Amino acid sequence: MFEKVLIANRGEIALRIHRACQEMGIRTVAVHSTADARAMHVRLADETVCIGPPQARDSYLNAASILSAATITGADAIHPGLGFLAENADFAAAVEETGFTFIGPSPEHIRLMGDKVRAKAEAQRLGIPVVPGSPEAVRGLPAAERAAKEIGYPVLLKASAGGGGRGMKLARDAAELAQMLPLAQIEAKAAFGDDSVYLERYLDRPRHIEVQLLGDGRGEVIHLGERDCSLQRSHQKLLEEAPSPALDAADRERLLATAVAALKELGYKSAGTMEFLYQDGEFYFIEMNTRLQVEHPISEMISGVDVVREQIRIAAGEPLGYRQSDIVLRGHAIECRINAESSEDFRPSPGRISDYHAPGGLGVRVDSALYQGYQVPPFYDSLVAKLIAYGADREECVMRLRRALAEYVVGGIETTIPLHQRLVEEPDFRRGDYDIHWLERFLARPS
Amino acid sequence: MKMGGRRPPLVPDAEVIRALAGLLSETGLSEIEYAVGDHRIRVARELTANAVPAANGYANGHGAPLPVETSLPAAAPVTTAVEHPGTVTAPLVGVAYLAPQPGDAPFVRVGDMISKGQTLLIIEAMKVMNQIRASRAGRLVRIFVDDSDPVEYGAPLMLIE
Repeated sequence: MFEKVLIANRGEIALRIHRACQEMGIRTVAVHSTADARAMHVRLADETVCIGPPQARDSYLNAASILSAATITGADAIHPGLGFLAENADFAAAVEETGFTFIGPSPEHIRLMGDKVRAKAEAQRLGIPVVPGSPEAVRGLPAAERAAKEIGYPVLLKASAGGGGRGMKLARDAAELAQMLPLAQIEAKAAFGDDSVYLERYLDRPRHIEVQLLGDGRGEVIHLGERDCSLQRSHQKLLEEAPSPALDAADRERLLATAVAALKELGYKSAGTMEFLYQDGEFYFIEMNTRLQVEHPISEMISGVDVVREQIRIAAGEPLGYRQSDIVLRGHAIECRINAESSEDFRPSPGRISDYHAPGGLGVRVDSALYQGYQVPPFYDSLVAKLIAYGADREECVMRLRRALAEYVVGGIETTIPLHQRLVEEPDFRRGDYDIHWLERFLARPS
Repeated sequence: MKMGGRRPPLVPDAEVIRALAGLLSETGLSEIEYAVGDHRIRVARELTANAVPAANGYANGHGAPLPVETSLPAAAPVTTAVEHPGTVTAPLVGVAYLAPQPGDAPFVRVGDMISKGQTLLIIEAMKVMNQIRASRAGRLVRIFVDDSDPVEYGAPLMLIE
């Protein structure tokens, strides 16, 4: 086992990794920017190294500085956390080449899943359904009509060269397709200098459901159940729950078995998440995240498995600590992302924490690096805390979450706590009846 | 930088010092000492005749606190140097070498006159030797690091006056 792990991240996730290390008797090295000198993970770490100025590209994204810090402190392994360099295959390879262990998957798997087109093709090869679409760009209207008929309306026209919604058009039937094709082509040309577009089936009310997986790199893979992350705003998850209130036992079994079989075939190592869209009883693969995820705690709560501890054990060459038959998924867990931003217009709200009181009691977990007097810096992600509630069933969990949100005091900055408080009162949310478009509609409604 | 599990030396907290300095002006005192455990911060200013208005004996606001001195059990000079304009700080994380080769004479010695652009030391990072050069001319009055010391970003290395 490692004696010393360098944590190449910041904020609550750095603290989360520090906690797992401490419980395993592993010493920690915190690297930090000058803006984070007083951050909680730095205060608690056994050793600290300042690696650069506040801008992430000069500190948390500076691979050479991080590797230098590992060298001067004599660390055995580097945990990249999430975001920053966590899904950078070149960094993972550089860590190994410099003689440290990268706590994560192989650079090859990071690279494969990082290329969204290759990842989709690989998923198909592994027998996982993807959103039906035209295999290549469609040129004229006749070709587009043929493809649309095969895929089934409504269809989405997407720029082959693009992303981020630009050049994207919706067509509900052949008449709309004839209208939208030239528009999509013009927009694609304007945005990306390439007018080729392809078609994809449009899902009007899908849920975002993902599977937490752990592999040992030798063909053994287990799952810790699924998470429902449908409550999103601009593709940013706000609240996640496990298990999904939308799945029946048969669909759940099918989803989990498919994901596990695919990663066994890949020989995947470490923690990873396969993300799917789910509508009308069908799952469609969207992407795979080859890292720890923000919402991993809800899977920990219902499975009793410490995901970070398993990542570290696997990286140290130990076998998985669990067989699938050891994993009993029990109860219900919900995570609220508390961001330093306005609940009204999502304006970032950095500043000094004037008062702080975290909720507690049975079944309440707070993963946060906040403390009274802490200055939330303006340079990084706005996530400052995760409130996780656990209950024997969904009803108990929601009531506990509601109670905990009311106890939570974060003074001096604006947070998303008031938004979560509104959410938990919503009848649709109480019933578990929502899709990935629901939150945007809810936010558009006058409060 | 915390290393090797030793208790870190107290890093002067700019906020605390500023707050103490503010109190100094506000109260008209000449000195405040603030101690937590072994760590002491003393903020003092020179009271001159025109800084103390006769009317009420209180400082009138332009008696800005002069010397700020921190008193620490160890490594005190290092921590006070951070904001000195002549301090050369580490532009990257790595290992500091004061001489081109082990056993060679050092690049510079305390008391040397330094010219702008002169190599002061080397910081090794990722097997690359980075020459750290003087950004100004002057006399080298202090070297804060020993040969082969690990240094973090922003660590004070030398002081040129």
